[in-house]
Amino acid sequence: MGVVLPVRHQAPLPTTLIRAETPRAEAIELDVLIVGGGPAGLACAIQLARSAPDLGVGVLEKAGSLGEHSLSGAVINPIALRALFPDKPDSEFPFRQRVEGEAVYFMTAAGSLRIPTPPTMKNHGNYTVSLCELVRWLGEQAEALGVNIFPGFPAESLLVDGQRVIGVRTVAGGLDRDRNPTDVFQEPTDLTAKVVVLAEGTRGPLAQAWRDWQQVGSDNPQIFALGVKEVWEIPQPLDRVIHTLGWPLPRDAFGGSWCYPMGPNQVSIGLVVGLDYHDAGLDVHESLQRMKLHPLFRGLLQGGTLLEWGAKTIPEGGYYAIPHRLSGDGVMMIGDTAGLVDVPSLKGIHYAMESGMLAATAIVAALQQHGGGGGAHLAAYDQAVRQSRIVGDMHVTRNMRLAFKDGFVGGVVKAGLMTISRGAFPGGRIAMAADAEAPRETHADTPFVPDNVLTFSKVDAVFKSGNATRDTIPSHLVVGRDITGDVADFYAHLCPAGVYERQGDTLRVNPPNCVDCKATDVLGPRWTPREGGSGPRYRLM
Amino acid sequence: MANVLAVLEVRNGALRKGSAELLAAARRLADASGGTVDALVCSTGAVNTDTLGAAGADRVLSASHADFANYCPDGTVATVASVSAQYRAIVVSASATGKDLAPRIAARINAPCAMDVTSVDLSGDTIRVVRPVYAGKALQTVDLRGSTVIAVRPGAYAGLGAGKAGANVSITVPPFTKRLDVTGIRTANTGLLDVAEARVVISGGRGLGDPKHFVLLEELAAAFGGEAAVGASRAVVDAGWAEHGAQVGQTGKTVAPELYIAVGISGAIQHLAGMRTAKVIVAINRDKDAPIFKVADYGIVGDLFEVVPALTAAVKQVKAH
Amino acid sequence: MKIAVCLRRTPDTTAKIVIAAGGTSIDETGVKFVPNPYDEYAIEAAIALKEKAGAGETVVVALGADSVQETLRTALAMGIDRAVHLQGNASADGLENARALADHVRGGGYDLVLFGKLAVDDYGQQTGAMVAELLELPCATAITMLEIADGRATVEREVEGGVEQATCALPAVFTCDKGLNNPRLPSLKGIMAARKKPFDIAPVTVAAGAVTVASLVLPPERAAGRIVGEGAAAVPALMQLLVSDAKVI
Ligand SMILES: Cc1cc2nc3c(=O)[nH]c(=O)nc-3n(C[C@H](O)[C@H](O)[C@H](O)COP(=O)(O)OP(=O)(O)OC[C@H]3O[C@@H](n4cnc5c(N)ncnc54)[C@H](O)[C@@H]3O)c2cc1C
Repeated sequence: MGVVLPVRHQAPLPTTLIRAETPRAEAIELDVLIVGGGPAGLACAIQLARSAPDLGVGVLEKAGSLGEHSLSGAVINPIALRALFPDKPDSEFPFRQRVEGEAVYFMTAAGSLRIPTPPTMKNHGNYTVSLCELVRWLGEQAEALGVNIFPGFPAESLLVDGQRVIGVRTVAGGLDRDRNPTDVFQEPTDLTAKVVVLAEGTRGPLAQAWRDWQQVGSDNPQIFALGVKEVWEIPQPLDRVIHTLGWPLPRDAFGGSWCYPMGPNQVSIGLVVGLDYHDAGLDVHESLQRMKLHPLFRGLLQGGTLLEWGAKTIPEGGYYAIPHRLSGDGVMMIGDTAGLVDVPSLKGIHYAMESGMLAATAIVAALQQHGGGGGAHLAAYDQAVRQSRIVGDMHVTRNMRLAFKDGFVGGVVKAGLMTISRGAFPGGRIAMAADAEAPRETHADTPFVPDNVLTFSKVDAVFKSGNATRDTIPSHLVVGRDITGDVADFYAHLCPAGVYERQGDTLRVNPPNCVDCKATDVLGPRWTPREGGSGPRYRLM
Repeated sequence: MANVLAVLEVRNGALRKGSAELLAAARRLADASGGTVDALVCSTGAVNTDTLGAAGADRVLSASHADFANYCPDGTVATVASVSAQYRAIVVSASATGKDLAPRIAARINAPCAMDVTSVDLSGDTIRVVRPVYAGKALQTVDLRGSTVIAVRPGAYAGLGAGKAGANVSITVPPFTKRLDVTGIRTANTGLLDVAEARVVISGGRGLGDPKHFVLLEELAAAFGGEAAVGASRAVVDAGWAEHGAQVGQTGKTVAPELYIAVGISGAIQHLAGMRTAKVIVAINRDKDAPIFKVADYGIVGDLFEVVPALTAAVKQVKAH
Repeated sequence: MKIAVCLRRTPDTTAKIVIAAGGTSIDETGVKFVPNPYDEYAIEAAIALKEKAGAGETVVVALGADSVQETLRTALAMGIDRAVHLQGNASADGLENARALADHVRGGGYDLVLFGKLAVDDYGQQTGAMVAELLELPCATAITMLEIADGRATVEREVEGGVEQATCALPAVFTCDKGLNNPRLPSLKGIMAARKKPFDIAPVTVAAGAVTVASLVLPPERAAGRIVGEGAAAVPALMQLLVSDAKVI
């Protein structure tokens, strides 16, 4: 048995993410530039276009078209949508269905025990959605309001002038593996704006780089979980939302599964695992495959077909991992980029949207009163978020995820006490280390053999993500140092998309497989923005 | 009664292969209602049409014109239009030339047109055809009323051999404006056959173990004598064992050869997505549980280093006869 | 140089095909629609020819329901100057659609009218050549090379076993095949500019024509294959099957 300490092998963030360069002559000028077309970025754009129709607003999205990189559970709390579209009835929102029943189970390898639904996991009045569909719909609303949406244009770096963020540069397209231009070469474009809003979602490299540069810390480091999700067409409808705890995860890992009805003949099923797990061989994709064979799910899926597969990380640090500042000179962070996710309820969509709307309000005020996005004026956003329901909710559950850092059973007891005391137990803050600092133990593992009916290999899963990335793009993954066979194995298990393979004692990397889940950015090779339209092409996630 | 005109193709003074198949499709339509089949041959004069009667033509209409040395769409359309009133259906082969010709004829004679048809039937007032759509991911059945122009997929019908000798009739080419001037055909100068075009594709995967073993596949391809190309799975292209241009699969090329031989390829869906419409799939793999066997028509479980050379020898032998 | 490109909106080629209730069309729920890939060669050719000529106008025309407007906008973002939406429902009879397009293009003073060689949904492969015939213009289909000089076009198209070469005077109609060029992607500037380009909507009525789609079905699943045998000893049996049963050798 050996030990892998992930942080030892991790490369630092590339320095090219922040560029103190004059924008190119051909730069596009906007008032507000939003990086990331998720629920946060689009809600921000819609609110901006509504309250200040004269502003030039642009949204850069790395997916080839809106929603194709969006993945969530998802059960959504509709309050943010209602607030953003006060004139629309619920029936106009792209919901799949209302939550009518729910059940929580504790699973063992052979059985399952229904347990009472903890208050934080109650979902009555909420709706199941496909985030892809919600994002496409939000995009249509934004476009109708005159927002410029630029799908297929990832932001590669922040352009800065002194301490001020003045714009972004997009990634070049059409380079070959050695970064030579091919005949479909597309030059990077610079975009400048009075305010750049970072809505990159989970583990955004631009936000990380900006925080490092401006030394914006947090009480606890941000921690993450990896979720692997499948959408199935099923013969019989599911009548309730299901959450499970326990098996197939080891006792010292934090996480659980969900299964949500998505209309009469589809379900979403997935497994989320905290990235501070201890077993180097833990493999979330394979665990989900095994889980589907459990009696609790097997009957539901049997006779059905896998429609789509995907993976993504979630920021799980909660209240204490919120950055000390959410805005700076010319820049703001919203949604998952700012870590605004409530972990016990596994919810972030409505918080992302609300933070985007709060940002929009602060931007309009700053631009109208002061004509620019100077740090002092944007700080109104920080205040608004701290006073909002977002931080209020996160404060109540502030220590809940952290309670599980030393194991599941103790965690359950502590979390129960926290719920009763509305977060007052145990008092103070449970300190947490970054995920990459948790050592992993290596064991000999038993290879998983998929049956290609209910369970699938990573290669086939990636196909089901719609990933058709050009095979000859330059690698966007930065591998660190001292990669032994054990480390290669650890990455191979960690990455749900088969990007990493151990070959002998070396690491083989297949960058086109990457679905931008960012798991290895947390624990291993760094992820950097790559050619627009690469990666998954989710339609149902 | 449905009389049918089959417009045949001539290149370099000879009928193109596929003429008999087309006549078989025409016969099927005509026989359903006791109609006759005429074959139209547009050429500069001396084309041997002796086999056409046996293949199903009741009459062979010869239209000769100096402009018919190369394919001449404008002249052919004018000729067809001058006789079209006698026919219920005009059929062409869905070759590059036939697909160019069919819609022109249809627009000229004011008839609907169906392309790439794999089956034709006459029922009462309508001609019913089946055609692959969405890149073969669905089959469409279409009803066409009135006189119609149909391009029949090569290979959809097997040629007949039982007919009688057809009568020969010369027809006049009406005056026409030669709007497009086809100046000739040059042979494509690509040295190697592309996987997307080859009739036979032999692809290798990781099971080959080493790039140098691709030579086994090249030998097998060579045994097919110029109609086979060597392809590769993505895994081996990524590993640098083969050129990206040879990659078969979702992010590589989509191929639909008559024969696809997968050697040492496990059969990930991304690979299958690129070759599953091949007419016949053969898999050679050591692992009897490899997913490729699920889509293969014929499989051999075994060591490719023994099986492939044996297959090469066997193909050579057949080809030598 | 004034060039028209006729554009079609088609499902993404990787879309999973599900047959809609009614059994004659696909279920469009959740399907991503894109400009027909072959039409993109036509768009690229138009933009490149105008760039080379240094003057002129490129116009993109689409017949169909309002959903094609998004597709037209993509063409504008790629660099086409102006869009025309012929608003109406296309017919299953390609000739009727060709008539509607020809009526619009006629008298437009175009030097070139370009199409894709086929639409990846219904594989109709007829609209371009029909429009040419209706307009009595020279036409070549599925071209892979196009050169314009002195009012004449020289083209190449792939035929079985070779490359056919042809010439004609302008104005002319061509349908474009893969190999003609590498279509550009919309640029950021192009996407912004597209919002401000002229966009005309002209209602049209397309006749039903003489074609009815009777059904649309998924092709039969590949019949389960069989293991012929093990090792080199199985080769003769395999050869027998390939030569006599499948007739592929
Ligand atoms: C497995 C899982 C289950 C979940 N379940 C639920 C649930 O049931 N209910 C709920 O409310 N929440 C749930 N969440 C959380 C929720 O999905 C997120 O909180 C929410 O999506 C955050 O929105 P966002 O806009 O901040 O980020 P995202 O939705 O991640 O959007 C960010 C966007 O930015 C783009 N982007 C990133 N970097 C760049 C760049 N450099 N250039 C251009 N574009 C870029 C991305 O492609 C993406 O489209 C779940 C999350 C996961 C992973």
